[in-house]
Amino acid sequence: MAIIERETEVMVPVTVTPTSTYGVLKRPVSATGWRAWVFTVDHKKLGLMYGATAMFFFIVGGVEALLIRLQLAAPNGKVLNADLYNQMFTMHATTMVFLFVMPMAAGLANYFIPLQIGARDVAFPRINALGFWLLLFGGIFINLSWFLGGAADGGWFMYAPNSGPVFSPTNGIDFWAFGLQIAGIASLTGAINLIVTVLNMRAPGMTLMKMPIFTWMMTVVQFLLLFAVPVITVALFLLSFQRNFGARFFDVAAGADPLLWQHLFWIFGHPEVYILVLPAFGIVSEVLPVFSRKPLFGYPFVVFSGAAIGFVGWGVWAHHMFASGLGPVSVAVFSLTTMAIAVPTGVKIINWTLTMWGGKLYFSTAMKFSIGLIVLFTVGGLSGVTHSVAPSDTQQTDTYYIVAHFHYVLFGGAVLGFFSGFYYWWPKMFGKMLNEKLGGWNFWLMVIGMNLTFGPMHILGLQGQPRRMYQWTEARAGEGFFNLAFWNLIASIGSFVLAVGILLFLINVVITARNPTKSPLDPWNSRSLEWMTSNPPKEHNFDVIPTVHHLDEFFHRKYEEDSATHTMRQIATAEEIMAEQERNADKHIHMPSPSYWPIVLAGAVPIITFGMIFSHLIAVIGGVILLFAAFGWALEPSTAPESDFENNSSQGTALDKVGH
Amino acid sequence: MNHSQRHSNLKTRVASVLLVTSKKYQKIFGVAMATMFAAGCAQNAPQDTWQPKGPNAKIIDDLQQPVFAVAGIIGLIVAVAIIYVVFKYKDRGQAIPEQTHGKPALEITLTIIPALILAVVAVFTFGAIFKLAKTDDTEMIINVTGQQWWWEYDYPAQNEFGINQPIISSGQLVMPVGTKVLLRETSRDVIHSYWIPALNGKRDAVPGRVQTLRLEADAPGLFAGQCTEFCGLSHANMRMEAIALSKADFAKWVANQQAAYVAPAKDSLAQQGEAVFLNQCVRCHQVNGLLRADGTPAIAAPDENVWSGAAPNLTHLMSRNTFAGATFDLLSKQCRDEVWNAPSDEIGAKYLAGVTEDCLNQKDLRAWLRNAPAMKPMYANPTQLTATGGKYRGMPYLALSEDDISKLVAYLLTLK
Repeated sequence: MAIIERETEVMVPVTVTPTSTYGVLKRPVSATGWRAWVFTVDHKKLGLMYGATAMFFFIVGGVEALLIRLQLAAPNGKVLNADLYNQMFTMHATTMVFLFVMPMAAGLANYFIPLQIGARDVAFPRINALGFWLLLFGGIFINLSWFLGGAADGGWFMYAPNSGPVFSPTNGIDFWAFGLQIAGIASLTGAINLIVTVLNMRAPGMTLMKMPIFTWMMTVVQFLLLFAVPVITVALFLLSFQRNFGARFFDVAAGADPLLWQHLFWIFGHPEVYILVLPAFGIVSEVLPVFSRKPLFGYPFVVFSGAAIGFVGWGVWAHHMFASGLGPVSVAVFSLTTMAIAVPTGVKIINWTLTMWGGKLYFSTAMKFSIGLIVLFTVGGLSGVTHSVAPSDTQQTDTYYIVAHFHYVLFGGAVLGFFSGFYYWWPKMFGKMLNEKLGGWNFWLMVIGMNLTFGPMHILGLQGQPRRMYQWTEARAGEGFFNLAFWNLIASIGSFVLAVGILLFLINVVITARNPTKSPLDPWNSRSLEWMTSNPPKEHNFDVIPTVHHLDEFFHRKYEEDSATHTMRQIATAEEIMAEQERNADKHIHMPSPSYWPIVLAGAVPIITFGMIFSHLIAVIGGVILLFAAFGWALEPSTAPESDFENNSSQGTALDKVGH
Repeated sequence: MNHSQRHSNLKTRVASVLLVTSKKYQKIFGVAMATMFAAGCAQNAPQDTWQPKGPNAKIIDDLQQPVFAVAGIIGLIVAVAIIYVVFKYKDRGQAIPEQTHGKPALEITLTIIPALILAVVAVFTFGAIFKLAKTDDTEMIINVTGQQWWWEYDYPAQNEFGINQPIISSGQLVMPVGTKVLLRETSRDVIHSYWIPALNGKRDAVPGRVQTLRLEADAPGLFAGQCTEFCGLSHANMRMEAIALSKADFAKWVANQQAAYVAPAKDSLAQQGEAVFLNQCVRCHQVNGLLRADGTPAIAAPDENVWSGAAPNLTHLMSRNTFAGATFDLLSKQCRDEVWNAPSDEIGAKYLAGVTEDCLNQKDLRAWLRNAPAMKPMYANPTQLTATGGKYRGMPYLALSEDDISKLVAYLLTLK
């Protein structure tokens, strides 16, 4: 597993397992079975585990959403009581934001960034594994609260002082705050890891402006995470100290200003919005060119508008607070910046449309999801512009109009983008193609369901139905057939249509897994480097690290321009390119070795936080485990030592690049 | 599936895709039309944000309508462009096109156009922001305090309106028409938000801060509102109404609020109710002028029993139409509809009539006195009071007998 030795005439990699013992424990050596997953440091396996975890929490958050819509289908709903409803909407948002969209993006980034830049792994493979386990344990930790006295009930924005120990006496918010801290470490380490990877490990010739657009957008996201996560970390520490150690950061009686929390939360929270949606922008910017048979229109504009969103995204946080009493000057400034950020977002919509313009469009399921994203995200973007008009926002904020807006942006944006990516990359990840026919049903049910669910919420909000109310009353629903009762019912019906659409995806996954048919090497006639290897890729990704000459390198190896017509004609097939690679395969590839320590160290952290809530003795035990794991980690070389190799690497690309 | 196989299937596939695509756009268009229809024809939703009834809300509406229109047009342009592209450039077996990477001039133009549109919007937005923040033209001040889960109104003495001593009320905000009212908002516990959509946007009531909101009504009327900042368990049950009265009617309302306490008739059921009130309710609820049996004034001490420190002042309870954070009607359904559906020029008289015995919503009021937390979720269960040192966050269960409830109802009816 650790070192792959191959001779030019031998086409099957020979795996040499290190025999020496280093560090506190013997290295894990299994290449199969559950150990191959639990102790892996392989970016692809970790990517898949991130994806599976995110999908699990997507279902959890989805069930929470369905319960909410059941409760609101009719006036004075009795499905949930007030307490449970408040927990439900808090956890729905928390789960979807922190445990579904962020990990799913992290999973795709983990899997595809090294492949897209022609690298054999990420810069810090063990830290990568640590990040995954922390995310999983953090997610489980937050959800433990359901069984230990009740989940957090303050809304995902957790405004002070309502989040204080007096107003929320259960342990729900303690679990929430510590759980998000744990997941936050995962985001932070992941961000550092991927930034270092992208900056240092690109294939020869791949300048930043020849980098695939998905990798670009994910890189912007990692920078946003790098600067945004510390802010929420600070805020969560203040909250935990207030709740668990009697600090008074948000205690008005002690002179605190509760708006402090809002500023901290939204300085994190608004960049977070772009953290959630830019990955989908990246996916769509990959899928549209492939199925339009044209390069991304205005690649530099898309790159720079992504970066611009990344920068301006830091200057708009107070538009979440237009009703909180900031004063007219602040409101005017944040109104202006919010309008400004609409411009680079609009640039993306224009570029996607112009990418398709003059193309040769093939409507695969992935393409349908991408086109769906353009239309639905535009709806969400335009309703977003209406919020930037601050006086108008004081009517709309905290109503269902906002709920409609951000679900068009996040469901129409992030989720449709992910599903586009699933259908596009499934053959790459699993060597099999998802059923396209079922995919069509999956797409249409999701799009129709989402419009039925979130479309009426525009009306509900503009006609005055506030958010976060466990019941609504007929007294405020208006008269006539199209009153708020009608639209609430439609939204609830729509949510179940949407759920059926997502269920079809899960069925598709099962059907595909059982179908023995393998995917062709290059099923979509793709353009970027991740397709220039087998499906799924070998552990070392590339037999030979490609030298890059073009944006869309793989496409330009397959096609050249006809000088007369300027159309493209094929000069090589993917199979030929692969065969060429295998002939020139690197002889000696040195991959990072698996390790016990990431999961042990990650496992110690929730024990500590559990102890913070219930008993400091437990926290001490967790601390001892953590220290033990950290020492074990420090004493273990990241790769098996040179002495295990029979001869020194002649082309030791991986050894040089895969780090410490 | 290789390239040529795919091509053979392509036409039928693309055709079917496009068939459904066109259906999709029919659908989206249908939903959009239905939206416009529903939003356009007023359903009399009491909290409709597109039906301003005062100059402040009008400023917002005049600003937002063109923005909605422009956004709608841009949305339509994008949708039409996508539909056009999808139909025009579907794969009909054409050659793979030239690999053009964009046209910078076009890009820059298409970046500048939205920026210019937004710049125009920004100019008008700025104007509205500063108009809505003005406080120097205020004619009347009302202090508004949010508390889990009701609103208290405190009218400081303002002689020009006949308010010689502060008036304390709750649930329904009463104000004169054509008068620039400035709310000074704060909160006693968590953040709440005051919102009467027909009169203005929202303003949060933040503990430790005093923030202002302009309100002005063009004509007499009843305007519904709702707390819109999530404020805990019964956030959904924290409602309010604003009642705009003609200046003459407002003067009558002020006079009534300042009228002296009238003790119930001797040996009446109401008088027994007063005794129950003194025994139980006065621990939290103030009734101005109420005397104890020994002749000393009965002063409520809500701070000893309620975590947030106050409970609604009930001195003129029956001059209001609602109770318990405007969650329940004091008026029976029929009487309520008469007030709410009255023409603007009759609303004042109907509202000032208050709640008579015939019009009282006995059912809800009795249920409330019987077991308040069963009607409105509040942290009133003794097991939930450890964090607050035994204090309630709403009206608790008082274990009153049915007899006591009848007496109390009779007494409350005298609080005109």
